[in-house]
Amino acid sequence: MPPLSICINTQTPLVQFLRPPVGDRGEGRGREPVDLAQLTEGVDYRVSPGGVTRMVYPLVRRLLKERVLDRAHWVALNPHGPATVRLGELTLHNVSIDSERMAGYGMVKEAIWGRIHELDRAEEHDELFWSEAFSEYAYYNRITAELIQRLDTEFDFDAFYVHDFQQLAVGHMLGTLKPKIFRWHIPFDATSIPEKWRALLSTYLNSYDVLVMSARRYATSLKAFRPTGRILKLYPYVDPDDYSIPTADLVAETARRLGLAPTDEVALVVARMDPIKGQDLAIEALGMLAEKYPALKLVLVGNGSFSGSAAGLGLSKSAVWRSHLEEIVKARGLEAKVLFTGHLGQADLDALYERCSFTLLPSVQEGFGLVTVESWLHGKPAIITERAGIAELVRNGSNGLLFDPADPKSLVRAMRLLLDSRAGRLRSRLARNGRITARKCSLDAAEEGESKMLAEVTEA
Amino acid sequence: MTVVSELWAGVVPLLPVAVIVVLTLLLAWLGGLLAGRLMRPSTPQMAGAARRLTMAVVGLIGGTLALQALGVSPDVLLLVIALLGVTALVALRDPLGNYGAKYFSDIYTPFKVGDTIEVQGFSGKVIEINPMTTVLLSDKEQLVSVPNASMIRDVVVNTSPQAWKEVTIPVSISGNLDLPVFESELLKSLSKLRMRLDVRFPPVLTTKARTPQSTDLTLTLMLRRPEDRDAITAEANKRLTEVLERVRGSRRSGPTTGNSR
Repeated sequence: MPPLSICINTQTPLVQFLRPPVGDRGEGRGREPVDLAQLTEGVDYRVSPGGVTRMVYPLVRRLLKERVLDRAHWVALNPHGPATVRLGELTLHNVSIDSERMAGYGMVKEAIWGRIHELDRAEEHDELFWSEAFSEYAYYNRITAELIQRLDTEFDFDAFYVHDFQQLAVGHMLGTLKPKIFRWHIPFDATSIPEKWRALLSTYLNSYDVLVMSARRYATSLKAFRPTGRILKLYPYVDPDDYSIPTADLVAETARRLGLAPTDEVALVVARMDPIKGQDLAIEALGMLAEKYPALKLVLVGNGSFSGSAAGLGLSKSAVWRSHLEEIVKARGLEAKVLFTGHLGQADLDALYERCSFTLLPSVQEGFGLVTVESWLHGKPAIITERAGIAELVRNGSNGLLFDPADPKSLVRAMRLLLDSRAGRLRSRLARNGRITARKCSLDAAEEGESKMLAEVTEA
Repeated sequence: MTVVSELWAGVVPLLPVAVIVVLTLLLAWLGGLLAGRLMRPSTPQMAGAARRLTMAVVGLIGGTLALQALGVSPDVLLLVIALLGVTALVALRDPLGNYGAKYFSDIYTPFKVGDTIEVQGFSGKVIEINPMTTVLLSDKEQLVSVPNASMIRDVVVNTSPQAWKEVTIPVSISGNLDLPVFESELLKSLSKLRMRLDVRFPPVLTTKARTPQSTDLTLTLMLRRPEDRDAITAEANKRLTEVLERVRGSRRSGPTTGNSR
């Protein structure tokens, strides 16, 4: 198969700009493409942490390297970025919308997100698609589709790959017969979707030739919508090469800097500050175990998402959630046992993974849970919520420990199993088997699955 | 001097003809404009048809007067036109009938591509409506070509689920119109009709085709009550026109063509 040319669409941009690039100062959206190689990471820009971009970029890089792709264009929402950014054979295109429209768009996407994650059952959102705010969601999707359409006129793509629900309408809005792929990154349970949302969601879903879901149960549930396109299950993935084993000195230095004593038992949670991530469950569990295990400490890594960050969309809810968590910590008298690190760079994160005793994924709902894969890559046992997509890869007691987030005591029981003085063999088994399971969520596995899918959809 | 006089003598008889031609063009344009405005409350197609018909009638009258001014007998002229017309009608009776039926079925026939219909004992999914025929794909995967005239003359049953609910309005906008703003404003405007529409089916604007010059879309609405069909169609067309004119305020755009099925 000859190399393909594709256009990718995500909400979160690969690169967030910390200040207007040289030659683009003042206006922020110059006409000339900005060459990222001429800028300094950490000063001019930062790579978006976590989420969709962390997953998609390594794959694009690999597919370009393996000549499955000969070029790729990536369209994303980036109000603070220049219009176009060059990154080797990858070109980034940034969409901007004004703050008034952003507020409406943000309200709709949060409402969809809340309902899909079963956080919000308020009936007022049943008629979300009739609201004035929805017209702004449509505006964002249409302006994205228009840009992609213009790029297609210029570059003649072979396929379009749209990621996640924020851009679901883009496929419908693209007036093209070329193949369109949609990857749904969050959980999917057809029974949780309001009756009044179903017709429009079906219309949008039916505009895609392939619908990629992150777990088998989401793919099965999607069948209830009877989409015209093919449903495919492809697990999310990470590039193991992005994770290094830090030296013992570096691990010790990082631990010391963060205030961890050599004798501390560290339970690590890596997640953005968001109610859905269930950090409160982990704090409550720590409270129940603190007396029996005085050396136990909980380290919470992460801050806001792209939507919540100042360099992103400014739709902050992370600060509110962190304040809430700090109040719980204070109320339980756990100030000396809970560390909030905020966002950490990859080197610090690798060191913390090495230093921790085990990791927790305490989410109330989780599309997949790639942090568990990161934990496995570092050879650490993981405790995982049953409400994560990755739970279907976990055999309880073999490669991880599962718990029900609706039953906080089940988390306490799982933590106790790993904290027990005789837990050495269990920890080793979970770590060893976890590392094997991680292969299913590796870039190699993704390259195979995604290349096959791209080949089929473009040659069909 | 003699040459100029001769030329002038030759031009003078043509002056009334030139005046008639100029006046005819002016009146045809004004008449078309007026007819289009008068018919705008109905549908954009009907308004366009009224405009073209008015211009044709004025043009025909003007042409006849101009030829009369040149000394050609109007009786002979009208006879020739009538004979040519009759001959063309006889020769092209069937194609013209189908073409005309296609024109009217666009407006009045309650089905579209993708619907399943029954007509003249045939049943199938509509996969194409061309100027001459409507093509059905039968359950046995046979292609059935039904002359468009039949769609006007015979009983057509649309068996698609909830077909009665659906109102589709074709919209064509020029390439320089701000489509995202247009769509956003249209959705806001149509949300005011929520009480008359099925709340499970919000309005949807679908891209059908696009060129650098224009984009063809369809607006789909789902009725709550069948008896509201005409009223909702008229109201949606009105709102569509209003939004287009509002958005045009910032940028120029071409005319919309819209109607409903």
